[in-house]
Amino acid sequence: MTVIFGIAAVLAFFGAVGVVVSRRTIYSALSLVANMVALAVLFLLLDAQFLAAVQIIVYAGAVMVLFVFIIALLAPGVEERLRPLELRVLVGGIAAIAFTVVIGRLALNGITVNAAGQFHGGLGPFSPQAVNAHGQVQTLGEQLFTTFLLPFEVTSLLLLVAAVGAVYLSRHRRTFR
Amino acid sequence: MTGLFPGFLTLSAAMFALGALGVMLRRNPLVVFMSIELMLNAGNLALITYARYTHTMAGQVFALIVIAVAASEVVVGLALITGVYRSGRRLDIDDLSEMRE
Repeated sequence: MTVIFGIAAVLAFFGAVGVVVSRRTIYSALSLVANMVALAVLFLLLDAQFLAAVQIIVYAGAVMVLFVFIIALLAPGVEERLRPLELRVLVGGIAAIAFTVVIGRLALNGITVNAAGQFHGGLGPFSPQAVNAHGQVQTLGEQLFTTFLLPFEVTSLLLLVAAVGAVYLSRHRRTFR
Repeated sequence: MTGLFPGFLTLSAAMFALGALGVMLRRNPLVVFMSIELMLNAGNLALITYARYTHTMAGQVFALIVIAVAASEVVVGLALITGVYRSGRRLDIDDLSEMRE
């Protein structure tokens, strides 16, 4: 498990680096696909099989195809290279490394856990064994339609608004003039 | 506190920082959108990590909702970018920063 985590984590990290530093937009998009596939592997390691499948189908499938399609349609030019010694790149890079180190240290020392190393509020009833015995998708679906019904309904409303907005934006030809 | 929990959380933090860096440093709106996706994915990873290690389901449910939000955000964002492109402007964040009209 540690070996698979290592491989997937390195792939996800360098995919993320590739998104930010690639000069061509299409390379950024392909790096993002690599990042998302690696993330799906990590979701599998975290006993979230359904979300791993959703990650592949929705993100690496639908969303990234949309991105690549738009990139091919608009054909954006090559951006100038980010120079590592430019002030904003330097400050941003140091800030990013500092943020990661701080979170990593906190996670190692026990972020959101008490002195005994237990999570505040203790462990919930959904241990991986219990979830797998009941069925991963069944558990997720039951939670989604009972405890989290309101967020679910609000999300459906959001999707409707997004669909209407996209149709509106692509209908009017002179909106942005 | 077991096993790979710090590793997952550190990777999530690194991905979020890289996404924030991309939003602030890059000028191409498409790359900015991809960096936003990166940050949303980092958040998802943290949510699912906590769901797994605290034995709760809320993290997974909200990760699912975040995926739906990200999908709708991409649809609207790409429609905006196409609209900007069709109006004849260059696809450059610095050129689009005036917010006039």
